[in-house]
Amino acid sequence: MAGAAAVLEDDSLLSRLDRRLARAERVLALISGVFAFGLMVLAVVSVTGRNGFNEPLPGYVDWIEAFMPLIAILGISYVQRQGGHIRMDIVVGALRGRALWLAEWITTFLILVLMVALVWGSWAHFDRSFDFGAPMWSRDSSIDIGLPIWPAKLVVPIAFAVMCVRLVLQLWGYGRAFVLGLESPVAVPLVQSAAEIAAAEARQVEGRD
Amino acid sequence: TEWNVSLWGKRRAFTEHVHKLAELVEEKTDGEFTMNISYGGLSNNRENLDGISIGAFEMAQFCAGYHPDKNRAITVLELPFMGVSTLEEETAVSHAVYDHPAVTEEMAQWNAKMLMTSPMPQYNIVGTGEPRDELADFDGMRVRATGGLGEAFRAVGAVPTSVTSSEAYQAMEGGVVDTVAFAQHAHLSFGTINEADWWTANLNPGTVNCPVVVNIDAYESLSEDERAALDSSVPEAIDHYLANYGELLARWDSVLEERGVEKVMISEEQLAQFEEVGGAPIQQAWIEEMSGQGLPAQELFDLVKSTLNEQRGTN
Amino acid sequence: MEPIEIGLWVTGGLLVMVVLGMRVAFAAGLAGLLGLVWIFWVRKDYAAEEFGWALSVAVQTAGQVPHSKVSSQALSLIPTFILIGYLAYYAGLTRALFEAAKRWIAWVPGGLAVSTVFATAGFAAVSGASVATAAVFARIAIPEMLKVGYDKRFAAGVVAAGGTLASLIPPSAILVIYAIIVEQDVGKLLLAGFLPGVFSAFVYGALIIGLALTIRGFGPPVSGFTWRERLVALPPALPIVAVVVIIIFFVYNPFGGDAWGTPTEGGAIGAFIVFCMALWRGMRWGELKDALIETAKLSIMIFSIIWGVLIYVRFLGFAQLPDAFSNWITSLDYPPLLILVCILLAYAVLGMFMDAIGMLLLTLPVVYPAVMALNGGEFVSAEQSAFGMNGTMCAIWFGILVVKMAEFCLITPPIGLNCFVVAGVRPDLSVQDVFRGVTPFFIADAVTISLLVAFPGIVLWLPSLA
Ligand code: NA
Ligand code: NA
Repeated sequence: MAGAAAVLEDDSLLSRLDRRLARAERVLALISGVFAFGLMVLAVVSVTGRNGFNEPLPGYVDWIEAFMPLIAILGISYVQRQGGHIRMDIVVGALRGRALWLAEWITTFLILVLMVALVWGSWAHFDRSFDFGAPMWSRDSSIDIGLPIWPAKLVVPIAFAVMCVRLVLQLWGYGRAFVLGLESPVAVPLVQSAAEIAAAEARQVEGRD
Repeated sequence: TEWNVSLWGKRRAFTEHVHKLAELVEEKTDGEFTMNISYGGLSNNRENLDGISIGAFEMAQFCAGYHPDKNRAITVLELPFMGVSTLEEETAVSHAVYDHPAVTEEMAQWNAKMLMTSPMPQYNIVGTGEPRDELADFDGMRVRATGGLGEAFRAVGAVPTSVTSSEAYQAMEGGVVDTVAFAQHAHLSFGTINEADWWTANLNPGTVNCPVVVNIDAYESLSEDERAALDSSVPEAIDHYLANYGELLARWDSVLEERGVEKVMISEEQLAQFEEVGGAPIQQAWIEEMSGQGLPAQELFDLVKSTLNEQRGTN
Repeated sequence: MEPIEIGLWVTGGLLVMVVLGMRVAFAAGLAGLLGLVWIFWVRKDYAAEEFGWALSVAVQTAGQVPHSKVSSQALSLIPTFILIGYLAYYAGLTRALFEAAKRWIAWVPGGLAVSTVFATAGFAAVSGASVATAAVFARIAIPEMLKVGYDKRFAAGVVAAGGTLASLIPPSAILVIYAIIVEQDVGKLLLAGFLPGVFSAFVYGALIIGLALTIRGFGPPVSGFTWRERLVALPPALPIVAVVVIIIFFVYNPFGGDAWGTPTEGGAIGAFIVFCMALWRGMRWGELKDALIETAKLSIMIFSIIWGVLIYVRFLGFAQLPDAFSNWITSLDYPPLLILVCILLAYAVLGMFMDAIGMLLLTLPVVYPAVMALNGGEFVSAEQSAFGMNGTMCAIWFGILVVKMAEFCLITPPIGLNCFVVAGVRPDLSVQDVFRGVTPFFIADAVTISLLVAFPGIVLWLPSLA
């Protein structure tokens, strides 16, 4: 969904940082997808083993639970870059220019507040399960095959930290748009209509070249 | 003082002592000290220790087998075939282990202090279809069995495939597992008995251990009276629990009959065989592994055995 | 301040943030986090030196939720069902299905739109997610409808509405979420969704035919396919049938005996078959990569709402709001059926502002026990119950009603996820366009829901066989 990313680009430092981060984010999203695929493979192996050889896969549930944060959270920043997290845009959709960028800046800032807190909280959650002195550094383990849980817990603060970087870039982008009064700023996902305008402009520019 | 208490599932025999405790404490302090019991609202059932450690709530129940690495020392109580046969013995053994410094120290890492146990009878399994009444039938069986019980089943070729108790019914209904090992109250409360065709009456491989803990800071900031009220109510709460559970066990046969569940007896010979591979070898392996991790494993193991003997001597 | 009052204030704040356009997942998470801070601080009587403690406890409590709530075997169904939908799209199965539907049914009035509805219904049988279904059919069906002169808004509306069928016709991620929240049997719920899903498809079809007959300049029927052309269109769509059969066997064995495994496993096997098909059709790494990234995006979007809302729900747990609500509902002195209808209407209103999954997650912990109590409790017999069905059947019936309501919300403004998705896939359409085009389907859904309330048998017949 939201197939075409409505994020504009140019040669500015902000846009270069945006694109560099976007490449990293895409890798993380791909890892999420690959593990979703892995979930499928795991199920195929489990079903085949169980029905074909009377050999259920040991720790099937443990492995699924270990995979899930990779699938469900790792690529969160990629989705944010593309404006893919859903929202109600009936109010922001009606705004234009500085009012729009101000509204975007405020809601983005609130997300940053949440994310910084969650980096802290999810790190603490990881930290409680991690112990340098213990075997496999583990102070929390899965039910059946005793997998250490800290790696899966670590995924969350990592993904959220990347998300924080993304949010800072977006705040920069919206702030710049607000200060300079831009029509179609770079490095931020644009509300559909604004994106259309920008695309139309781009096409016109191409036509004149 | 108002305490938040984090439990899971719904009110059942397994949580009656907590309700009794809350009642007694409130009574003894003339309503000064109350407890707010929440079923699943405050935490995930596998994260009650985390919540205690954070200080999000003051009291919680958890099961050792849900996360062995969080509570290595008390996993001794979940070893299979330890020979505990009554709830009274289970209570005595648990509290003896809870008082051991190794346990106190480990719990202190979670800012937790052991308050009391939730003694449970031997776990037996329910399943659908043809009864699995021979060890050979356990080969390739996906059984919901945590901790040492899981190990025992693994020793005879089964594959422990576990979820927490709240998810067990779905796991059975949805085909994630073939059989579920539970104590009687849980088979009732979580509905696995409604889904079952048979129940093993005498497999008795062991049980799980689920203590109730309190947050140390909260405990220490209680007034003298409040703390006295709490501490003195534990034995009464446990007595209430035992009486209540006794009633449940007494009507168990009629529960089975009502739901058309076949009572499967496993032959002495098969049981002996199970104990041979699922008992001592797993206990020894546990002692070795935990000693390797620096726990006084042999000491804890012997403590269970000696308490058990003592308990039998006095009765 | 009482915890319940804090609960109400924070809930109000959440609504304000959502209306102002904050991403829903994070608005819920932030509301929950701030609510937790408040509730811990109030316990220390707002002592200034205790604020740090309250903040730390709240942050750590909230910080557990994302990992702990997504690490669930049951929820692993969601990415699997999304993956299967995208793989089917890249394997060309969706197009084959649409082509077959077109050649067989497009001769009726409003032909292409009716074909689209039935193709989405067929695709629903392999896809577990409404939004994924809407996304793939926006790419396939809308261009065809535009070619023969349909109004672009109506074409988009057909796809957005047709997509909702995926959540009733099994497999369905949202039914699984319902089953998890209320701790009911996933298999029976999935079975129960089948007839209402097919029923909805027929109501949509009838509506379109009615519109085509009354409105001039509506898209023309597409006829002139020979029987030969119709027959050759069938084999390419057959793998869908194979996948459907497999998923059914994993949910419920029609020949008696145990199901073959879990719905998740069924979905995974189905996805694997579709994957092999796609490989055979020449899918390259580039396309697989696209399918995987699309799967990741949609999964992450859904899971973000799940954990965000669950932070808020954790706060509600500390605020004891659900208990208060439950007691209030059951103390009302009105006929149970009237209360049930009011609850469904409340879902329609709430659904205007929330997305389906968020809404279910947010409300069910409170509403479900109340509905069960209305019927006479979990273990009530059919004779003694208020709705004339036992506890299990009531749970299933209410589940299907609520999911149908949630699907209805997928196409209602201002937050109608399906319409957003269609607009996202088609840059030439704004969200407002899609909302306008989907309006007629509100009527169809209202009719369907009334019939499901009046005749519970449509829902309960299949699961009562299992
Ligand atoms: Na479906
Ligand atoms: Na809506």
